[in-house]
Amino acid sequence: MTPSESHFENLRLELRRGCLTLAVLAALRQEYYGYTLRKALADRGLEIEESTLYPLLRRLEAQGLLTSEWREEDKRNKRFYRLSIDGERIFAQLLAEWQAINASIRATIDNIL
Amino acid sequence: MDLLDRYLQAVKKHLPWQRQDDILAELRANLESQLEDEEASLGRPLTSAEAEDWLKQFGHPIQVAARYQPQQYLIGPALFPFYWYVMKVAIFWVTVIYVIVAAVQVATQTPVGTNVLAFVLRLPGGLMNMAAWVTLIFGIIEFAAARYPGKFPTLAPPSADWSPSALPPLGQQFAGGKKSRSFAHAVTEVIFGFLFLIWWLLVPNHPYLLVGPGVFYWHTSPFQFAPVWVQIYWWVVAVNVVQVAWCSAELMRGSWPRPRTAQNIVVSASGLIPITLLLSVPGHAFVLLKHPALDQARYGTTLDSMNKSLYMGAELIFAIVVLRLAWEIGRLGLEAYRKRAAARR
Repeated sequence: MTPSESHFENLRLELRRGCLTLAVLAALRQEYYGYTLRKALADRGLEIEESTLYPLLRRLEAQGLLTSEWREEDKRNKRFYRLSIDGERIFAQLLAEWQAINASIRATIDNIL
Repeated sequence: MDLLDRYLQAVKKHLPWQRQDDILAELRANLESQLEDEEASLGRPLTSAEAEDWLKQFGHPIQVAARYQPQQYLIGPALFPFYWYVMKVAIFWVTVIYVIVAAVQVATQTPVGTNVLAFVLRLPGGLMNMAAWVTLIFGIIEFAAARYPGKFPTLAPPSADWSPSALPPLGQQFAGGKKSRSFAHAVTEVIFGFLFLIWWLLVPNHPYLLVGPGVFYWHTSPFQFAPVWVQIYWWVVAVNVVQVAWCSAELMRGSWPRPRTAQNIVVSASGLIPITLLLSVPGHAFVLLKHPALDQARYGTTLDSMNKSLYMGAELIFAIVVLRLAWEIGRLGLEAYRKRAAARR
C-alpha cells in the first residue's frame, strides 16, 4: 500500500466509524440478532465486517444505547438487540447532527462545483 | 464443523475471561447462521477448503478477540506528552552524569582507551535502564488513573472549565530571537539542580556514587587527589547552591520565561575560577602518590602522564569556558547596541 493509499484508507475508516454507529442505531429501531442485522445493512448497501459489527453491538449495549435478550429461534439460541429508551433519544440527536453535517457538506460542494 | 469449533476455541483464549462464554455463544450463533445460509445457497455442505476460506475472512482469532477488549494503553494520549518530556530530560541528565563519571575515570585510571570504551559500552545500558524505570512509573500512573478514575485528577483540562484570560502570557519575543523558557523547563531545572546538589554533597562519604565500582581500585591504588580538589569541590557546591537559589527565586518571582544572559555570564565566569585554580597548581600535581618514597620509581611515569592528561583537559575546558563567556558578553553587548539603535530611531 502506497503512503497515499494508506492515508486514504485511514481517513475512510475514520469517516465510516461514526456513520456505522448511526446506521446500526437506525437499523435497531427494529429487533435483530447479529447476523441478520449484518444482512439487513448489507441489503441496503452498507457492508460491515463481522469482527467490527459484533463487538460494536456489545459496546453500544454497555453504553446503555441498546438492550438485548437471549431467545431461541430456529432451534438456536440467539442474542437479539434493539434500541433502548436512551438509545432512541441519542439516535434522534445523532441523526439531526448527521443531517446538518450532510446538508452543510452538500451546500459546500454545490457552492464549489 | 470441526474447523469452526477450532476457530471459536482459538478466539476464546484471547477473550476477557469474565465475558468469554457469553461472547462465544453469541459469536457461534451468528457464525452458524451464516454457515447455514452459505450452505443453503450452494445446496451442499462447504468443502474443507471452502470452510477454511470462509473462516479466514472473519480475521485472525487474536484480532477478532481484541475487538471485544476495551481500548488499552500503556501510556495514554493524555499522559504521553508528560512522559515524553520527562524521558527527554532524563536522557539528557543520565548522559551528563555518565560523561562526568567517565571523565573522572578516564582522568584517574589507566589505560585511557579501555575506560573510554567501557563508558561507551555502558551508556546504552544505563539509558535503557532509566527509560525502563520512567516507562514503568508512567505505566503505573496510567493504570491507576484508568482503574480508579475518580481518585486521580484528570490530566486533560475539562473543556468547559477554562478561561482564555487564565492562559499563560504570550511567549515574549526576546532580543536575539531567543525563545522564552517554559514553566516545566524552569521547574525541571530547580528539581534537577537540587538533586545534583544532594548527589554532589553525598560523594565525599560515598565516592561510589561518582566512580561506581572504580572506588575500590582507587582506594587500593597508590594515588590520591591533591588538596586543590577540595577547594574545587566546595566551589562547585557554592556555584550550584547559588544557581538553585537563583532558579527558585525566578520561579517565585514569575520571571522564569526571561532568557538568562546575565546569569549565564556569572555562571561562566564563576566556572573559570576553579579551572584557574587547577591550572595554577605548582608542577600540575593534581594527583599525588600516597607513598612517594616507596612508589615513585614504580608509578612515577604513570603519575606524570595522568597529571599531564588532566592539565590538557583543564586547558581545554578553560578555552571552552572563555569562548562561552566571550559569546555571552558579545551577545549582551549586541542586544544593548540594538536597543540603543532602536531608541534613537
